[in-house]
Amino acid sequence: MENTLYETDEAILAGIRKDDDRALAYLYKLHFPMIAHFILNNSGTEDEAKDIYQEGVIVFYEKIKDNSLELTCQIKTYLYSVCRRLWLKRLAEKGRYAVKVDDAEDFLPAEDDIAQHEENERQFELMGDALAQLGEPCRSLLEDYYIHMQNMQDITDKFGYTNSDTAKNQKYKCLQRLKKIFFTAYKPQV
Amino acid sequence: MFDYSIYEQIERYLGGGMVAEEKVAFEALLQTDTRLAEKVREHQTLLKAMRQHGQRQSLQQKLNLMHTEMVAESAAASPSMFKVFWNKHRQTMAVAASVSLLSVFGTLWSVQQLKEPVQQQTARYVELRREVERIKKEQRAIIDGIMGTEAEKPAPRTARFSGTGFAVSSDGYIVTNSHVIEGADSVMIENKAGLRFKVNAVYRDKTHDLAILKIEDPAFEGFGKLPYTFKTTESDLGEKVFTLGYPREDIVFGEGSLSSSTGFEGDTTAYQISIPLNPGNSGGPLLDDKGNLIGIISGKQAGQEGAAFAVKSAYLLKVLGDMLTTDSTKVALPRHNHLAGNGRPQQLKKLKDYVFVVKVYN
Repeated sequence: MENTLYETDEAILAGIRKDDDRALAYLYKLHFPMIAHFILNNSGTEDEAKDIYQEGVIVFYEKIKDNSLELTCQIKTYLYSVCRRLWLKRLAEKGRYAVKVDDAEDFLPAEDDIAQHEENERQFELMGDALAQLGEPCRSLLEDYYIHMQNMQDITDKFGYTNSDTAKNQKYKCLQRLKKIFFTAYKPQV
Repeated sequence: MFDYSIYEQIERYLGGGMVAEEKVAFEALLQTDTRLAEKVREHQTLLKAMRQHGQRQSLQQKLNLMHTEMVAESAAASPSMFKVFWNKHRQTMAVAASVSLLSVFGTLWSVQQLKEPVQQQTARYVELRREVERIKKEQRAIIDGIMGTEAEKPAPRTARFSGTGFAVSSDGYIVTNSHVIEGADSVMIENKAGLRFKVNAVYRDKTHDLAILKIEDPAFEGFGKLPYTFKTTESDLGEKVFTLGYPREDIVFGEGSLSSSTGFEGDTTAYQISIPLNPGNSGGPLLDDKGNLIGIISGKQAGQEGAAFAVKSAYLLKVLGDMLTTDSTKVALPRHNHLAGNGRPQQLKKLKDYVFVVKVYN
């Protein structure tokens, strides 16, 4: 049974570390109602709840993958705190300041995690933009090689290059362009 | 070409694909060639960003998938619009409902409450005829029965109402309030000494609320000399006055002063007096310090402390005069006052035999 497998927070953490999607799915389903309740009670919609929750889960997930998560509380509280912070930020952006937040749970200040997350988010968007600007087939080529880790021979076949050297050259050309586009927009903030 | 081979080298360096000597050589090169080092760093950042981008994208896809899956799962038991609305506003609605219920019943209740004083206000004048607690009397009869004292005797019928009355002449005329004997079949009087007579109402004046009763008992032999006289003039404000009456089974003394020369709502035929009175006091004599009878207790104002009323004695005399003209019954009023100069207890001792409880049966 899925439910019994991930009964404790530790089990869920271990599952996510092992890249077990079921652990993530379980976690996702477990805590969504709480966040949905919070957002709906604080002048949000179902879709916004989904967005915020997914963002929260991403923060959590990336922290785990990064091994930088120092969980001092329950996962539930952590997620709630992060989502709460994100939602307040979203409200502020919309020009609506929540005078009084209707809190259903305890929460922690999650500023640091959010700051880190925003940096990641910026990078993610820039990379997305850069890849979009790059155009096909460069994009697919790079994605296949660097992200999906396909080997050069498969890529050569897929894209119809005469040999793997041509493919490699093409790949480096693409990479060169991507680099240009990306770094004009992105300055690492250190 | 140069560029691409460099890239390949960098990638192999970053990916850890270099053999030891090559790596050492490359690192040495990095130490000297800052441009190369910069390139490596850039490349590293780029690759990392790209990987993260990829991971993020797949993660988001996964999450979306999970979400749709979850929605699909809950869609089976998907709450209707009404249910969503209900869940969202349930608390508010509960509060609203209870508030409205509360206010509805609160209003009903307070209206009910308000009605009572309104009724009282329309009849603020309370006549002090006493409704006898039948149960109490019956209980006593039962107790007596158990004690065996009057086992054989049929239980006496109990009076329905009672008031007070007093003698106006030695030949058996008694005065009380007209309202006391309202609706009476038969009337009995009884005094502290235990004398008990059947009386008939010989005259009633409803405007002054007075009634003259006459003792019809053949065993009656007259009261002897009455100790008080009747005052024909008005008494002064502030004069000390007292009364005797039967607000319960025993005779009760009440004292106060004459607080106004008019009665209820400016009624000039009555005084206002400050004696605490109770139902049953109606018809009692009101006397001043010297033992002159100055009035007949008639009622009080409800909801107002110390506002009791007594019909002025002048009107009693007037009624007796009317009786003389209509029925040509002459009532011989007492002439001599034996109470003047006595202390209050002495006065009461003399007086109490002439004050009767008037029992009304119907």
